[in-house]
Amino acid sequence: MGMRVLLVEDDAVLADGVLRVLQAQGMQVEHARDGLQADARLLDDAFAYAVVVLDIGLPGIDGFEVVRRLRARGAATPVLLLTARDAVEDRVHGLETGADDYLVKPFATPELVARIRALARRHAAPATRLALGHLILDGDTRRAHIGARPLDLSVREWAVLEYLLRNAGRVVSKQQIIDAILPWGDDLSLNAVEVYVSRLRLKLIGAGVAIRTIRGFGYMLEAQAA
Amino acid sequence: MSSIRLRLLAWLAGPIVFVNLAAAALAYLLAWAPAGLAFDAALQEAARAAARDPLAATHPARRADGGELTWVAVRAGGRVLAGAPGLPPALPEGAVGDAMLDGEPVRHTSVRAVADGQPAVLTLARTVRQRRQVRAAMLRGLVLLESVCSLALVGLIWVSVTNGLAPLARLRASLDRRDSVNLAPLPEQDMGHELQPVAAAFNALLERIAGASRAQREFQANVAHQLRTPLAGARLQLEWLAERHRGDSDTAAAVTRLLATNERLTRETNQLLALARAEPSQPGRARFAPVDLARLVGDGVQSFVERAAARDIDLGFALAPATVDGDVFLLRDLLDNLVDNALRYTPQGGSVTVRCGAAAAGAPAAGAMLEVEDDGPGIPPAERARVFERFVRLAPDGGATGSGLGLAIVRDIARLHGARVELGDGAGGKGARFTVHFPALRT
Repeated sequence: MGMRVLLVEDDAVLADGVLRVLQAQGMQVEHARDGLQADARLLDDAFAYAVVVLDIGLPGIDGFEVVRRLRARGAATPVLLLTARDAVEDRVHGLETGADDYLVKPFATPELVARIRALARRHAAPATRLALGHLILDGDTRRAHIGARPLDLSVREWAVLEYLLRNAGRVVSKQQIIDAILPWGDDLSLNAVEVYVSRLRLKLIGAGVAIRTIRGFGYMLEAQAA
Repeated sequence: MSSIRLRLLAWLAGPIVFVNLAAAALAYLLAWAPAGLAFDAALQEAARAAARDPLAATHPARRADGGELTWVAVRAGGRVLAGAPGLPPALPEGAVGDAMLDGEPVRHTSVRAVADGQPAVLTLARTVRQRRQVRAAMLRGLVLLESVCSLALVGLIWVSVTNGLAPLARLRASLDRRDSVNLAPLPEQDMGHELQPVAAAFNALLERIAGASRAQREFQANVAHQLRTPLAGARLQLEWLAERHRGDSDTAAAVTRLLATNERLTRETNQLLALARAEPSQPGRARFAPVDLARLVGDGVQSFVERAAARDIDLGFALAPATVDGDVFLLRDLLDNLVDNALRYTPQGGSVTVRCGAAAAGAPAAGAMLEVEDDGPGIPPAERARVFERFVRLAPDGGATGSGLGLAIVRDIARLHGARVELGDGAGGKGARFTVHFPALRT
């Protein structure tokens, strides 16, 4: 059974779109049309939802108030705010109230799905098994596979690949990679990252994934079209 | 007459010059009267001197001396005893009269005399040439003096009027200096009493205009915000449709077109919003804070990369830390529009590079710079000034659709930050390079 998501959105077309998109991703989506309805559901059973997708501009009580009441009751359910405004006040206010992330309308399907998954992941225990394309990283056994073929990785290569995989579809800078794989402040040059990535590229041939270079900035791991 | 200065000048100078001329006429009369009396006294003296020996005085009867002609005649009982004939009849003793002799005006006087032991009257007439000369000299002097005085007066009045109208001139200059979006009120205290009501009325008008423009901007921002929800709904529905009809090429093509339209509407909505935000009359400096350009670019990288990947454009960065004083949201709008512009006008397979850092050594402003360079078709030098105007789109480009607002937004935001946008050739003379030069941080 997929994760349960509570969608709070008063615009019928947008709500229907989000419903379709998330259901197509195998998520179980419940829909509330206004703030009071959402508040009532969250009052009943906040822990049933992996993520709440919450519009700010709602009839009745607005999204900020819904989050405030949710947090006041001590529920830690992750909240993704949908906002039509990108004004600084809204963002800051939303995050201060206790929301976990925000998305400015209009957004693309992959962006919405990625944000929801990221929130769910952050909230749940860290996944030990990561997969993209034919690539599988199993954190428990520290084994990597391309399909059924075992993949040999050094410790550093594993760390870089794991970080890229956790952020698949997102651009990460070289500095972010260094910070992520060296939590104890060891020294690693940007060039070293390039070396690991070029080695990984060779090892990932046939894995159905590609590491895109963002010239002068960093990398992005993507699934390759078959 | 529409000039206040000329009106004042006419009303001040006219009467003053008139009074001046009247005074001059009076001065002439007052000066001439004693001069005339002196000439008459001299005439009478000459007559009395001649009367001591009247018959001798008539030889010659007409003589010229000192530029004047003098006639003498001794008459008794209407008969000329000696001297010039044809003199005017004798006047009572002590009187001086006017007459004509030989076609020339003369003054004449008579005194009692004794000729050959008989009582007689001696008449002496003299031309008035000297009098005329004296009178003409007097008149010339007065006219000259009065002309000079009148001119000096008019000049002084001109200076005074100009001086008195200086607050008006200052007001006009300060209004002239304003750009079209400066709606700040005029300072009312440092102008004269008479101008204060004018300034107050003007300020009230400015306030109404500012209010209307604020309302318009808020409306614009509101509309843009309102549009985002339906745009988001349409987009998700279309993406879902595209996924579902992936195999059906006709439907897929139509959905792709709809998605492109959706994207275009979104971009234009965002630009509308950015334009409302970047309106130079917004009192935006309040939100200014130090912004690191490298971080600003870093925050936008994800969406830039997605857009570049969709068009198979190689997007690169060269980022060095560079802090500017600015509004982070406006600067994000600026960057978005520059990158969007570059991505749209660069053909598939092209390359776009975003740079930031401290200004190059020797750059005019010793601040920071943000630069977006592409290797697309570039912009001919003659068109470069125009691209920053609103709704200007160059060349019917292949498929690139823009509102023509992007670069106007860039210019407005740069201006708000005291920054200058420079447009040049890309590397190797190919493509376009937009460089935003920010001023040095105020410490």
